[in-house]
Amino acid sequence: MPLVAEYHRPASLDEALELLGSPRRVALAGGTMLNADREPSDLEAVDLQALGLDTIAATDAGRVRIGATATLDAVRRCELLGDSLRDLARAEQPSTLRTLATVGGLVAKASSESLLLAALLAHDAQVELVGSSAAAAESGLAGLLATGVPRGSLVTAVTVDPSGRTATARTGRTPADVPIVAAYGRRIEGFAAVALTGVADHPVLVDVGDPTSGLNPAGDFRGSREYRLHLAGTLTARVMQELHL
Amino acid sequence: MTLDVTFELNGVPVTATVEPHHTLREALRRLGMFSVHYGSDSGETGAAAVLYDGRLASSDVILAASADGHSVTTVESLNVSPDLHPVQTAFVAVGAFQSGYSAGAMILGTLALLEENPDPSEDEIRDMLSGILDRETAYVKPVEAVKRTAAVLRGTETEPFAPLVIDSLTDGSRPPAEPPTGSPAPEAPHAVPRLVPSREVPDMAVVGKPEVKVDAVRLAKGNPAFTDDIEPRGMLYAKVLRSPHAHARIVSIDDSAARAVPGVHAVLHHGNTLRVKYASGGQSWPNPHPYDQVSFDDRVRHVGDRVAAVAAETVEAAEEAVRLIEVTYDVLPAVFDERFAMDPDAPKVHDEEDTTHICDPQRNLVHHIAAKRGDVEGNLAAAPHVFEQTFRVHQVQQCPIEPHISMAWLDSDERMVVRTATQVPFHTRRMLAPLIDMDIKDIRVIKPRIGGGFGAKQEMLIEDIVAHLAIATRRPVRLELDRAEEFYASRTRHPQTITYRTAVDGDGRLLAQDMSIIGNTGPYGTHGFTVQIVSGLRGLTSYNAASKRFDCHVVYTNIPVPGAYRGYGAPQAEFALEAHMEDIARALDLDPIEFKRRNWVKVGDEMDIAPHLGERAVAEEELDEYPRIMSSGIEECVAQGMREVDWNRRNDAAWKAPADRPNIRRGIGFAFCMHGTAIPFLDMGGCSIKLNDDGSFNMLIGATDLGTGADTVIGQIAAEVLGVPLDDIKVYSSDTDMTPFDTGAYASSTTYISGTAALRAAEAVRERLKARAAMLLEVDEPCTIELRDRRAYAADGRSVTLEEIALDSLHWQEQEQIMGTASHVSPDCPPPFAAQFAEVEVDVDTGQVTVTKLVMAVDCGVAINPVTASGQVEGGMIQALGYAHCEEIVLDDGGRMVNPSFGPYKIYRADEMPDTVVYLVQTMEDSGPFGAKAVAEIPKDGVAPAVRNAILDATGVAINDLPFTPERVWAALQAAASQRPSG
Repeated sequence: MPLVAEYHRPASLDEALELLGSPRRVALAGGTMLNADREPSDLEAVDLQALGLDTIAATDAGRVRIGATATLDAVRRCELLGDSLRDLARAEQPSTLRTLATVGGLVAKASSESLLLAALLAHDAQVELVGSSAAAAESGLAGLLATGVPRGSLVTAVTVDPSGRTATARTGRTPADVPIVAAYGRRIEGFAAVALTGVADHPVLVDVGDPTSGLNPAGDFRGSREYRLHLAGTLTARVMQELHL
Repeated sequence: MTLDVTFELNGVPVTATVEPHHTLREALRRLGMFSVHYGSDSGETGAAAVLYDGRLASSDVILAASADGHSVTTVESLNVSPDLHPVQTAFVAVGAFQSGYSAGAMILGTLALLEENPDPSEDEIRDMLSGILDRETAYVKPVEAVKRTAAVLRGTETEPFAPLVIDSLTDGSRPPAEPPTGSPAPEAPHAVPRLVPSREVPDMAVVGKPEVKVDAVRLAKGNPAFTDDIEPRGMLYAKVLRSPHAHARIVSIDDSAARAVPGVHAVLHHGNTLRVKYASGGQSWPNPHPYDQVSFDDRVRHVGDRVAAVAAETVEAAEEAVRLIEVTYDVLPAVFDERFAMDPDAPKVHDEEDTTHICDPQRNLVHHIAAKRGDVEGNLAAAPHVFEQTFRVHQVQQCPIEPHISMAWLDSDERMVVRTATQVPFHTRRMLAPLIDMDIKDIRVIKPRIGGGFGAKQEMLIEDIVAHLAIATRRPVRLELDRAEEFYASRTRHPQTITYRTAVDGDGRLLAQDMSIIGNTGPYGTHGFTVQIVSGLRGLTSYNAASKRFDCHVVYTNIPVPGAYRGYGAPQAEFALEAHMEDIARALDLDPIEFKRRNWVKVGDEMDIAPHLGERAVAEEELDEYPRIMSSGIEECVAQGMREVDWNRRNDAAWKAPADRPNIRRGIGFAFCMHGTAIPFLDMGGCSIKLNDDGSFNMLIGATDLGTGADTVIGQIAAEVLGVPLDDIKVYSSDTDMTPFDTGAYASSTTYISGTAALRAAEAVRERLKARAAMLLEVDEPCTIELRDRRAYAADGRSVTLEEIALDSLHWQEQEQIMGTASHVSPDCPPPFAAQFAEVEVDVDTGQVTVTKLVMAVDCGVAINPVTASGQVEGGMIQALGYAHCEEIVLDDGGRMVNPSFGPYKIYRADEMPDTVVYLVQTMEDSGPFGAKAVAEIPKDGVAPAVRNAILDATGVAINDLPFTPERVWAALQAAASQRPSG
């Protein structure tokens, strides 16, 4: 882990934001990313566990609000969410890490390979933020993934619309491997969305009519650019077929 | 700055003073919770998992400060009495622990799961285990342990865990008259080994029984047993500065800033350390040349090579000092691919003057190995069919969950004590002596419990560093590799390029096999010679051929260092061989099993090239006598495996191309496997047994139990001879001051060699027990006395207990210490045989291969303990599956490993396993203890070719490079499609 110089556990959002005003300070949600890093630093950890941001609840608008420090394990257990989201929360991390990793951390990391994040995109995820005057109080996840969480801001919750029929297609080295490319599709009346992993810097929503349009994935040892584009087309077609699109 | 954190530990509030960067794992170990083990810093191994507020969580990634106010449970919470908790009991009963390094995490996960759901499904159990990487058991027996625990806690009766005895399908030497696929396979949980007994093997009291491991309690309780579980007072922590370059000359080192870091006690590098040449491979004296390493060199030859080492009061101070060492490098060109290493313009990896015995340093040629039998060229020229294929096998890492760890200190007599996770304590002692300028007699190497090795620890890898630092500081010094170092700075499997040319006659019989290898030994020789020798042995002794030739070039490159890895050259060779034979069968329109059967070695056949290969190869072209196959159960193995995998489905078009999944093709593959049992005339083991007052015995062995169950198996052998239960044999291994010599844990030798030493030592003790019993019973002929049930019986039924004999001999009359010591070396190397089957699904649109079932039927002679033996097969198969399917060390253009962590380097976890079924087919190997042969390495040999042949069966596409990653398979499918006639 980084050689964090100090540890803070703020008791309120205001205190947390004040602490996070310093560039040396980083938010510590689940710790699975920050604490896994052995590179030295003079960072100070601002532990968010006392802020009460871990609740998951239904909203009046038929959506589900997931607190930023709710763990993936809590998402897995939440019956307000559909089976597909719950199962992807399970699959996102193994048993010993999903009890620590948080939804806020997931959004902040914006991993290209996160299938759960792709699913949140397809479920019209909105991200609640506090802090930066430049940031809206609520941002669409897609936009936030593109820009990153503004410095001085804190993700407090993600809301999703859990409804709709869903389908997932993925290709990995083994059944539980992080997919090289994966597609998550969601269909509700009059609307369909497909999001892909492994084809950009972060999961992206694609044009269901032309899913590889505009994609320019970087290749790596698990999949070249050409192969990823091939998978993008193939896997998108599969989820669309399963959704009868 | 320190913090006081208070949390509930195992139900009791504790306050710990920590620094902000301390993890919960570190804090718990400081509090004496030694069941919490280091596997990596990022938590994905699960070895340090605890219950955190009742949920399983990796304590590696929890700040200790974050734990303030929380509840933490470790497995020590269960240790409230000498008895085991039902969860611990179930894990012990089914043999779920091999090394037991992650035992605490598994037990805690089970507790949490069953608390929430008393009757979990197998999927739920596997999901719970998904965060605990296990390199040993394939999760088969841990899953069974959870199921049995759940049953026990629900109040359901469970049968004792034991093998399922099944009838043979053959007469032992010929295939069954009818294909064995008509009847259903026997049903039992996958964890239960299927045992096919041999009529030649008598029923015994202890041998052949599923005895609980002798170390089970200590593992289940998480008691301090591993290298890191003691902390000598005043210990310093070491860290190593490693090369960022694949090849460079060190122009200068400035360590002044490092030495100035508070708490730093020593900084060692080539400028202040003895330059003594050595080879690091843990092998018998004299180690094979060249001796091309020194503790610290002025040249680095791979990314991760040693540059300097620091000892400091804390890990953080050592890390800081390492960062402050200023090194000026003259970066040199590097070569990575063995196929180009001998090119005239390739960079020279070793041009220093003080390394001798390199075959041709100007060509990076370390060794040229050649052996021949018969007229290969003549047979190739005259044969009606000649086939040639080239295969490329890649670099993988052993991945023990416990990384390399050693500590060293000078004892009160100023002797060097090294406590280390090693497979070769005696070799390490001998090899270490010249490097630190001490006599062997002044060095003691202690091998405690090891958290897996798989060959990576058959190396004197870091022991010299801690010893040098202990001398320099006169303080105990500890060095533990982190996970990234374990990948690129320990040892790996040799990549090879293998070419076969095979001549076949009109009847499908082999006339010639010509095997050429370019073996990549990386920057140092270490095991480079002997691994390729084993490739030749395995590649050219499995099948009879009128003529054979082996030609091997072992070359230097700048990749991370290859060394020993379970299988030791055989997995590479058998992948190529079994793929090649499969393709020949298809080309000749022959059934692959029938074609292989026509040619594979059988009882009585000579292993004719074997004496001409090896560390002590015979130079003469012809010998009067060659070693022969004396036992083989391969026909029974094939029959059982065919039935289990339902081989006939290869001909079922509807199964192979399921109508409801148009992108899926299914296939089944087979591989014939043959391995060795120990190195003849070389591997040696010793054993000493003494009688205690209560009729129990202390057994001292130099053999090294890596988690394989060797201590248990060797104890069972002694117990059988002495007529006592296994619990009366107290096994201690291994400590160079205390135990007899043993070459170590490698070459599938421990049961066969060290077990025979134990057998003989026990026999010596038995003779004295009989003599003393005859005296007490006033019997004239001691040879008529029998030992059983802890008693010595006269022929007339009278008896005395072993305790009575012990008290009499130790305290009463004609006093003596009854003890026996023996050693063993074998002229034989009886091969175990196996039939490996794999079932796959191939997504032909994406190239994704899913392995759905693995079946291995093994003839390992008499399995001394069928539970531990089947555990070896299960774990070995899944390591082999990783080799075939998903594991690979990937280097960038500069030689830096791009995936040095679990995840990017993918090993199988519990929730993605194929079904695995193990058959143990008994044969009686007269040269082995109670009929035993080896079992530890053969499971590594057949999976890759069986998967490859299954992909071929499914798609018609042959792939000759490993691993079968999605893009490689997809590209092969694309290439094959493009070559098909259009329209």
